[in-house]
Amino acid sequence: MVKNMEIILSNYLEKIDKYLKPIGVAERADIINEIKSEMLELEAKDKLSPEQIVERLGNPRELAGAYLGQSITKNNSFNLRKLGTVIAFYSLAGLGSIFILPFISVLGAALMFCGVIVPIGGAVKLLGALVGIDVPWVVMQFGSYIPSPIMAFPLSILVGILLFLAGRFFWKLTIRYIQMISNRKKQL
Amino acid sequence: MNIDDWKSQIKRGTLEFCILLMISKRSYYGYEIISELDKWQILAAKESTIYPLLRRLLKEGFLSSYWQETTEGLPPRKYYSITDTGKEYLGAMSTEWENLLSAINGLQGR
Repeated sequence: MVKNMEIILSNYLEKIDKYLKPIGVAERADIINEIKSEMLELEAKDKLSPEQIVERLGNPRELAGAYLGQSITKNNSFNLRKLGTVIAFYSLAGLGSIFILPFISVLGAALMFCGVIVPIGGAVKLLGALVGIDVPWVVMQFGSYIPSPIMAFPLSILVGILLFLAGRFFWKLTIRYIQMISNRKKQL
Repeated sequence: MNIDDWKSQIKRGTLEFCILLMISKRSYYGYEIISELDKWQILAAKESTIYPLLRRLLKEGFLSSYWQETTEGLPPRKYYSITDTGKEYLGAMSTEWENLLSAINGLQGR
């Protein structure tokens, strides 16, 4: 049954699969199988042609976007998979989001990353100073003020926390923005 | 006057309730849910609305699902049934629904 499926239907499923890449393999296969089952029901029971089925299901971008929207806004946590989902979603969400979303989502992720890296740098500098080695590739500088390695460590923790909080703020802003778009897209 | 906008808002707000009501009676698969809702013009919804909504209800633990083979030469179907959490949620929704209806009746002066 599935083998002799019309090209137009399997192309549609392939597109959905491509747009849903950031969703895990098992979940994605489950979604694809369910849509495939729906297609074949429509074909067998409603006697729709492949063209009519594809028309009824609508633009694959929008269908995939509806799934992605649900899985992004479910919670506020941050992980790499979710960043991927966010990026995939805004690429589907239309031109209006092309400037704002990449900016705030990447800024959020980058600031959180820096928030982690800066204290590590401070710790490296401190350890270096304790065992008597200068670590020239880790430098802390505020304008013309260069704190001593001992001072640099607590300062780096403080700066790290500030960067991380700023990053988290932008990340939450990203989630809120997507919720706003996906609510708008929920028009029936 | 745009009544369609208002209708689609009502639909958006009540589809979850309608789907849980259906599934609380017996297990349904996606195509059946869509055809059933299609019987009422105000509830008719597209695949791109229903399937992601079912997925969310599943993730929130209100529904569970299982795949079942068919005897009609069709591919397996994914059936949804209601969980205990789902029943609780549905109960709470029914209460609020009654509240809304009596509020409207009150305003209409019956």
